[in-house]
Amino acid sequence: MVKKELTEKSPLRSLEKAVNGGLGKGNIAVIASKQGIGKTACLVHIATDKLMRNKHVIHVSYANKVDHIVNWYEDIFTEISKKRSLEGAMDVHNDIIHNRVIMNFSQKGIPVSQVLASVKAMMDNGQVGTDAIIIDGFDFTIGTAEDIKKFKDFALEEQIELWFSDSYKGEENFQDERGIPKNLVKALDDISVVLTLRAEQNYMVLKLVKDHKSIVSEDLQLKLDPKTLLIAEV
Amino acid sequence: MSADITKMRNIGISAHIDSGKTTLTERILFYCQKIHAIHEVRGKDGVGATMDSMELERERGITIASAATNVNWKGHDINIIDTPGHVDFTIEVERALRVLDGAVLVLCSVGGVQSQSITVDRQLKRYGVPRIAFVNKSDRTGANPYKVCDQLREKLNLNSVMMQVPIGLEEKLEGVIDLVRMKAIYFDGHDGESIRIEEIPEALKAEADERREMMLDAVSMFNEEIMEHMMEETEIPEELLHETIRKAVIAQDLVPVYLGSAYKNKGVQEMMDAVLRYLPAPPDVENKALDLDNDEAEVVLPSDRSKPPVALAFKLEDGQYGQLTYIRVYQGIVKKGSELINVRNGRKFKVGRLVRMHSNNMEDIVEAPAGDIVALFGIECASGDTFCSPDLNLSMTSMFVPNAVISLSIRPVDKSASDKMAKALNRFTKEDPTFRTHVDPESNETIVSGMGELHLEVYIERMKREYQAEVITGAPQVAYREAISQAADFNYTHKKQTGGSGQYARVAGTMEPLDTNGEKDYEFENKIKGGAIPTEYIPSCDKGFQAAMLKGSLIGAPVVGVKMSITDGQFHAVDSSDQAFQTAALGAFREAYKKAKPIILEPIMKVSVEGPTEFQGNIFGTLNQRRGMIVASNDEGNYSVVEAEVPLSEMFGYSTVLRSSTQGKAEFTMEFAKYGRVPSSVTEDLIKKYEEERKAQQK
Repeated sequence: MVKKELTEKSPLRSLEKAVNGGLGKGNIAVIASKQGIGKTACLVHIATDKLMRNKHVIHVSYANKVDHIVNWYEDIFTEISKKRSLEGAMDVHNDIIHNRVIMNFSQKGIPVSQVLASVKAMMDNGQVGTDAIIIDGFDFTIGTAEDIKKFKDFALEEQIELWFSDSYKGEENFQDERGIPKNLVKALDDISVVLTLRAEQNYMVLKLVKDHKSIVSEDLQLKLDPKTLLIAEV
Repeated sequence: MSADITKMRNIGISAHIDSGKTTLTERILFYCQKIHAIHEVRGKDGVGATMDSMELERERGITIASAATNVNWKGHDINIIDTPGHVDFTIEVERALRVLDGAVLVLCSVGGVQSQSITVDRQLKRYGVPRIAFVNKSDRTGANPYKVCDQLREKLNLNSVMMQVPIGLEEKLEGVIDLVRMKAIYFDGHDGESIRIEEIPEALKAEADERREMMLDAVSMFNEEIMEHMMEETEIPEELLHETIRKAVIAQDLVPVYLGSAYKNKGVQEMMDAVLRYLPAPPDVENKALDLDNDEAEVVLPSDRSKPPVALAFKLEDGQYGQLTYIRVYQGIVKKGSELINVRNGRKFKVGRLVRMHSNNMEDIVEAPAGDIVALFGIECASGDTFCSPDLNLSMTSMFVPNAVISLSIRPVDKSASDKMAKALNRFTKEDPTFRTHVDPESNETIVSGMGELHLEVYIERMKREYQAEVITGAPQVAYREAISQAADFNYTHKKQTGGSGQYARVAGTMEPLDTNGEKDYEFENKIKGGAIPTEYIPSCDKGFQAAMLKGSLIGAPVVGVKMSITDGQFHAVDSSDQAFQTAALGAFREAYKKAKPIILEPIMKVSVEGPTEFQGNIFGTLNQRRGMIVASNDEGNYSVVEAEVPLSEMFGYSTVLRSSTQGKAEFTMEFAKYGRVPSSVTEDLIKKYEEERKAQQK
């Protein structure tokens, strides 16, 4: 399979269809779940899909060491290319990693404005043409509604997509009665798409809870393969 | 030397460029009556600071080589090493820290904690060196010692605490208030040599009380007795405070902050008192060696003078009278005339001249006890060697030697310079483990490599001045490689049958890229069935291919990553020979090589740039312009580290560009990562250049 065909057949196309043709530039999406369900893998898969379509991605991480994230990308890429027997996988890999930058912040003491200034500096000087930013490990319990507003304004101004993860500890139900993850309620207006990830018996199910204007509750025909952690169609 | 080991200190003066290390050291020497007049760095009086003895250092106003000196302050013997602040001379800092017990971290009251202070602090942490801080230049406009103290906490994560309050700041700096004694201290006389102790000025009482409270809070964490005194509001004995602070400093849990202005002769003596009070004596620091007779088990060296001697050679220097070896004695006593063994090569030697160093002057001594730093004459060794009593086999753990980041080709101007150059190179590589040299087998050039452009510049300059070796420096050659990107078949006949003994050989087969992650450069497989080529000529084919790989046809660089398989061929009963098959294989290789879409590979470096976050954009930009791939960026508050992969060929001159685009506040390190494909635009340039060179040679 060649690169183009691979992306056309990606299960992420069905995700886009489900959310009215995709997240769209200037919007924020959040994937929320309990810890250790596979949010990072999900985000990396979304990023890899963009990279395969010749887009540029900045991966912002608040939690992990850089090598750890690089390994995620390597694993996901290897799984995708093996599964779909991608032609010239080495060359594709070498091409796309040029369009990916990983930025790491210690959330302790670095205000959102400074993070955005750093990201902007990267977009202007190091990664011109960025289409999407993945933000993993941002603590929504510390982040205020104003912080999210800053991200939203940034997304609008720079015309990029922002993908966040939102993590919950423990066993308690993390969603309110509408199904909205609790940490996100305060800034719901600025978040266009909310997805949740929950563990079923043998796999993890992606569920759409906010789709641009409307609050929904719809199990997508998408799951996370427990072995590869790739997004797959049911 | 004092008989009491607890009255010894080995300290380093560490800081970033221009914080005034050398000026401070000059004052220390003066107050300890080691020198009788103060001279300034880049001295207007034409003398220059005592510790910058090298002509080059005085000209440039920077410290290049760390200098050792020995002073006596209030009955204590103190060995002081003044270290360079410039990153290019990082090895000087590394080896000084390796043998020091404590350090004074000097900071500028205006600049505060700068990126290089962070580098220095990281080095101190690596060797676990306890420290006190001295906020220098408090007389400057914009001086704020409190801010610096906070920065130590925020940026370096040090538990810093102000031990003093300034009496007036900027040009009004008159003296300091000691928060332990609660007294005002003034520095009178022409050079601030006479100390006047008075009551705290009324206007500063409240501030002093508040700061003392903060200091006591910090210190009481380490001693319950102090806490009790504070609760009961009873007077805290001065001795108890000193003792508690000392313990916390040695455990690296506390960094007391002093302030002053070395240039204006204020506050230096108080800081010296703090060195005696709080920094460790040799027995307070646990030093370890590895027992080579016992599976490298760690052995603690207890600074015991009655045990057999163990010493570490940490620095070599070419002195007026031959090679000078600086050693730190860790155990026993090194005596003049005694026998020691160099553990690395097992060679025995006799201690000849033993001297104590004072910058470039020295005084002869007969013995050096554990804890001391002295120098030996005429010992053949390398830096990092351990010297032991012949009945011991211990090795001190080595110091950290960073990889060289930049290289340059050098060529002597004439025959006489050639010998001198060799001599100088031999000397410098022994002195400085970060300065390396080799002859590139591909270009036959002498290549020197080091930590940065300034580093190499200084050595080229020293070659000229100290060895009269004039050299011409050139841009270093990047070691390119060639490879193929797809498989190709070959079928080649070598024929020469015109009279006399002829030559005949035909080889056919496939050439394909070898993907073994660069571990294997060449593979040969014989797939011939039925004896189309007699077995005796198979190795000839192998040889012919390998000969062809030495020089690719694109730019004449070696070819790597090729698998050659032969499947068919032909021979002639009379005219075939080893030579004929080698030639045929060579021809076959060249034929297939053209069809196999050859490419050029270049070394890609892993580059790590560190600097203040405000310059992040500039850092990204400079890397991007150099065909760099930014892999990651790490932000830690005001400081960020950018990691990238950049072709080596683009990195020449980078240090200058980086410095100018970040006001000298960013620094970088790089190391070889892998060979990567040269983009087609660059490939064309390289091929063109190669063709031109070849034509020029043919003329």
